[in-house]
Order: sequence, then C-alpha cells, then structure tokens
Amino acid sequence: MSKKKILLVDDEPALTRMLRLNLEQTGRYEVREENRGADALRAAREFRPDLIFLDVMMPDMGGDEIAEQLKQDPELSKIKYAFLTAIVTKRETGAGAAQISGEIFIAKPVKRDELLAAVQELLGE
Amino acid sequence: MSEAPGTPITHPAHAPPSSPGERVPPCILLVDDIPANLRVLYESLNGRDYRLLVANGGAQALDIARRAHPDLMLLDIMMPDMDGFEVCGRLKADCETADIAVIFLSALDDATDKIHGLELGAVDYVTKPFHPDEVAARVDAHCKILRLERELAQRNRQLELVRDRILNSMVEGVVGLDAEGRVSFVNPAAERILGLDAQRILTRELGDWEPARLRETAARVLVEQREASMDELELPRGDGSSIPVELRAAPVSDPAYPAGVVLVLRDLSERRRVEATLNRTNDELTRSHRELRVAQMQLVQAAKLESVGRLAAGVAHEVKNPLAIVQLGLDYLEQVTAFDEISREVLQDMQHALSRADTVVRGLLDFSRERGLDLKPCAINDAIAQSLQLVRHELTQRNIDVLTNLAGDIPERPFDTDKLQQVFLNLFMNAMHAMERDGTLVIRSDCASVAADQIGPHAADAGFLPGDRLIRIAIEDTGPGIEPKDLGRLFDPYFTTKRQGEGTGLGLSVTRNIVTLHAGSIDLANLPQGGARALLLFQPQAASADNPAGAASPLFRNTARRQA
Ligand SMILES: Nc1ncnc2c1ncn2[C@@H]1O[C@H](COP(=O)(O)OP(=O)(O)OP(=O)(O)O)[C@@H](O)[C@H]1O
Ligand SMILES: [Mg+2]
Repeated sequence: MSKKKILLVDDEPALTRMLRLNLEQTGRYEVREENRGADALRAAREFRPDLIFLDVMMPDMGGDEIAEQLKQDPELSKIKYAFLTAIVTKRETGAGAAQISGEIFIAKPVKRDELLAAVQELLGE
Repeated sequence: MSEAPGTPITHPAHAPPSSPGERVPPCILLVDDIPANLRVLYESLNGRDYRLLVANGGAQALDIARRAHPDLMLLDIMMPDMDGFEVCGRLKADCETADIAVIFLSALDDATDKIHGLELGAVDYVTKPFHPDEVAARVDAHCKILRLERELAQRNRQLELVRDRILNSMVEGVVGLDAEGRVSFVNPAAERILGLDAQRILTRELGDWEPARLRETAARVLVEQREASMDELELPRGDGSSIPVELRAAPVSDPAYPAGVVLVLRDLSERRRVEATLNRTNDELTRSHRELRVAQMQLVQAAKLESVGRLAAGVAHEVKNPLAIVQLGLDYLEQVTAFDEISREVLQDMQHALSRADTVVRGLLDFSRERGLDLKPCAINDAIAQSLQLVRHELTQRNIDVLTNLAGDIPERPFDTDKLQQVFLNLFMNAMHAMERDGTLVIRSDCASVAADQIGPHAADAGFLPGDRLIRIAIEDTGPGIEPKDLGRLFDPYFTTKRQGEGTGLGLSVTRNIVTLHAGSIDLANLPQGGARALLLFQPQAASADNPAGAASPLFRNTARRQA
C-alpha cells in the first residue's frame, strides 16, 4: 500500500517542520509543507494530497479560503481537510480534533499523540 | 306730607322699599278716640320730617296698620271700641305688623299698666297730659332707634350674604355646631365631602358623628372653647365609603352667642392621590435607575470582555504557534532519541512548563468567552452539591471538613448550570488553597432579605438594596483571609498571590463575569473570626421570556435572541 500524502499549510515554517517530522517519523506518510496560501493551492494540484492541514489564520490567505477554492475543483474532491487553530480552545475541541459546523478543527498546541490520532481518523485508517 | 285729622286715610299697602341715599321719612300712626287729643298729637309732630297718619279707634288703627304699615304707632289705651292693649296684642300677633313699634299714650299713671304695656311689646310709654315737646322728643328718639335697627339688620343681611357666598365657594367643608352640639349650618362642600345633603346633616346630634375621635374632639372644643385639629381622619360618607380629611374644630367664642363649634373639613383624597402618584413615579424612577445602572454595568462588562476577547485572540495566536512548535519538537525528540535519566526529567519539566503556558492562554480565552448563557430553570443547591462532589476527594485528602446548610425553599430560576458549577468550583478551590490543610469549608444557601452589611461593592453595582429578597450563597473558609491591600484587586484578571505557575489569577474574574451575566453579584470579604467569605446574590424571581436571567439589559436580550 502506497503512503498516504499529507500537505501541511501554515505560515510558520518551524511548525510545519515539526508536524512533518512527527508524521514522517511514523514511516506511514509522505508529507509536504507550504508556508504561503498561493503556494499551497499550487501544491495541492501537483502533489494531490489525501489530507491537508490548514492554518486558519495566515497573513496572505486564510485556511478556510484555501479549502474553499480547492473544493471547487472536482478533481480534488476526495481531499480531506483539517484546520489548525490557536483560538479554539481544547475545551471546545476536547482531546484531539472536533467538528465545528462540519469542519475538523485541531487546537494548537497539538501533541504528537493527538495529531496522529486525528490523521488516522481522517484517513479512515 | 300730612293728612287732616279724622279723615279716613288710604295708603299703599306697603311703604316703598327704601333705597340707599334717599331717606324715606318715618311713617307714624296716631291713634286716639278723642279728636282733641289727636289734634294735639298731630300738632306736636307736624312740621317735622314725618309722614303722619291718624286713626280714631282701635279697629281703624289695626286696619290702617295692616295696609299702610307705619313704622311707629302712638297708641291710646282707653278707647271705647278696642283698648290699646288689645290693639298692641293683635299687632304683635300678626307677623305682618309685629315689627311696628308701639308707644302707649295714657292718662293711666300706674306702674303695672306700664309694665303690662311693655310686656305686650311696646317700646315706650307717655303719660297724659303730655308735653308736645316730650312726645316729639320720644318719637324722634324711637325713630332714630328704628332707623339704626333697620340699618343694622341690612348690614347683617349683607354680612350673611357675604358669609354665605364665602361658605358656598369654600373648598373646605364647614359645619356649625351649636352649644348642644347640634348642626346649625352646613356649606355645600361639607355636603359633598360627607356625601349627604344639608337636610340630613342638619338633623345630626353630636353623638351621630363618626368616628369617635371626631366626636370627642368636637365635644372637647365645645367645653374647653379651645381650637383643636386632626391631621388625618377617615370620615364615613353617606354612600358607605370613607374619605380622608384634615379637621379643624374652632370654638365660636362670641360671648353674645351661645358657644358653639365650627368644624372645618379639608378633603385629603386629592392630595392622597397626588401623593400616591408621586410615590409610584418615584418607585418607577428608582427601579429604572437601578435597571439602568445594571445595564450600564453590563455594558461596561461587555465592552471590557470584547476588548479582552480581541486581546486574547491575538495573544493566543502569537503564543500558541511557538507552544505548538516546542510541543511537537519535544514529542519528536522523545521518539527519536534515547535519553538518560536526567535528560528524561528535563524533558518532563519542559512538558509541564508547556502545559502551564497553554493553561494560561486557554484561561485567557475562556475568560474572554463567557458571554452566552445556556439558561434553564435550576435548583441552585443541586449545582452546589455537584460542584462539591468534584472536590470532595481533594478536601478529604487535605483533611478539610465540609459543613453545608442549604435551605430547601429556594425558588428555581434560570441559570447556566455548567457555568454555575464553574463558579462554585473556582470558589471551593480558592477556599481549599487558602486553607491548605486542616480546616472547615462552610457552604450556606437561602432566600432571604439581605442586610445592609451584606451589600458589597459588586452587589451595589448590580443594583441590590438592603431589604431585597435574594438568593444568597455564602462560602466560608477557615484560612488566613485576604490581605486588606488585596481586597480591591481580587477580581482583576491575572491577580494572584499564588506562586508562579500555581494560579492563573483568572478564577475570580471569570467567576464574576459569569455571576454578572446572571444579573447576580459576588463579593469577597474577611470574616471577623478569621477566614474569608464569598457571598453570591441572585434575584429569585422567575425570568420573563425576553429577560431570561431576571434583569433588563441589552446584554441579556442579545443572549436570549442568540439562544432562541
Ligand atoms: N478564600 C480565599 N482566601 C484568601 N484569599 C483568597 C481566597 N480566594 C481568593 N483569594 C485571593 O484572590 C486571588 C485571586 O483568586 P483567583 O481565583 O482569581 O486566582 P487564583 O486562585 O490565584 O488562580 P486560579 O483561580 O487560576 O487558581 C488568590 O490568588 C488569593 O490571593
Ligand atoms: Mg482561583
């Protein structure tokens, strides 16, 4: 079985890097990072990820906006999305991810265990 | 103007009424059966300012008197057809002629006759043979008296008219009582106040008056002849209702009159109505002022929350990314590196530091979010019991006793139960931390009227007043209490006296926000015997549809709409 692809989008390179290292360390995922909204759109089309992690608040383009644009493309309809956010508290998301109006939110700071659990759930593993 | 003696005289039945300014000369009827005597009388008065009539016998005298109505009659006693006494008696018996003044003329010089004549109503007596000048002088004198009497009567009538006009136009009811306490006069205002017509009031005896206080006062004034007054008196009216009056009872102290009392009744019902309206308006003002203050407090609170909310979001964003990086970095290192014992401990400490930092930011976010309420009718004692359950274990471990005294009659009202539990939890934790080990946590609740010394600054801001019936929850500990210098800052966000990392200092500010959203208040104070007390106050009344927490404020209306 080929590795599932995950695209990480956050304006903070150190954060995407940490996410990537933790995900790659499991040996189960192929991971790519982007730190700008425009690059993220392009990367999504080239890289064809199964799952995209999006920061909700980024300087050039918000994560919700990126997701909105990608969802317009029928070829990309299979992609799953998860939003990383600083302003949703753990109490609202519980441990790990939470659905808020149909979207998956993960509160920062996320722990490795919570991250992996959320990814597995989203990818149906 | 004179008539020849002896001739029958016809005159208009009544003298024309005298008008002021023009003086009608007095009319005098001379009566004697002896023409010579008549002539002498006539001569002695003729030429003066009199109108003279003559009659030669008793019957004729009565006839002329009835028709011409003279002012004065000089009346002979000894007359063949009807003697003077009888003429005088008949005159006085007829009300048409009773006011005619009579001077007897007679040869009789007997004191008993004179007395008899005067008893019959005569004004004077002249003995024959008389001197013309004496007759003239006496007639003059009596005419003057008559004129003065008439003028006096006229004055009296005028005075009475004025008095009646005054009495009729008075707003105050006036009732006159005579010396026996019987009603002698009544004005229209008194009829209106008593709800009875004058006829009914005029039959009243002193004993008929109600209430007894009025009766007693009137009786006392009658006896003592000293004025008395009563500020407030409920007077029964004719229709069975009653009317509030102010009463003044004044003695009628003219010695010439038999002493009586005048009662002056002032209707207070209008004043009462005005007072009631004023009181009502005042109450409404107080209430709306109170509501305004509460609303203003909540607006201030909302504005504060909003700015804190923006701040919190900014801070969270800035802080949580670095936290996330460090967190994931540590997690990664733990996965890929083999650490020795010491490095493992270092990693543990770093993990703890991270979660502390996260707690602080999360607390800030929590704090800025306490806005919406999920209100459901709830028994506050249940919320207390449930919160207590959560700290029970720790309390036991710290050897802290719990005493509860929760009243069973506290009405249910809308609360956000989760938030309320957060409030109690914060307060229990604070008390527990203050006592550290060994102590007593006392929790009391009831619904009662608050004393003035229980109205703390926040309670006053919430618009609570001494005497208000409120739900009270007191949480008392046996800890060290609060430093006086800290009392004013306990509720400030981030104010804490706990060691670094042990407390966020947000507990009480979150608590106060939640309580304020429920239109309640929370104040902390030291107890005289040591330890601290948190006192929560809430309005007990059931909330209306657009006013879920029992207070009128824009904030609450918004909340309600959001939840609808
Ligand atoms: N029962 C009490 N007795 C004495 N001092 C108290 C009591 N309750 C609160 N305080 C004082 O008020 C301060 C602020 O309390 P608050 O609950 O806001 O924050 P905290 O308890 O310090 O932190 P946290 O609630 O996050 O644990 C406390 O640090 C303490 O000094
Ligand atoms: Mg606290």
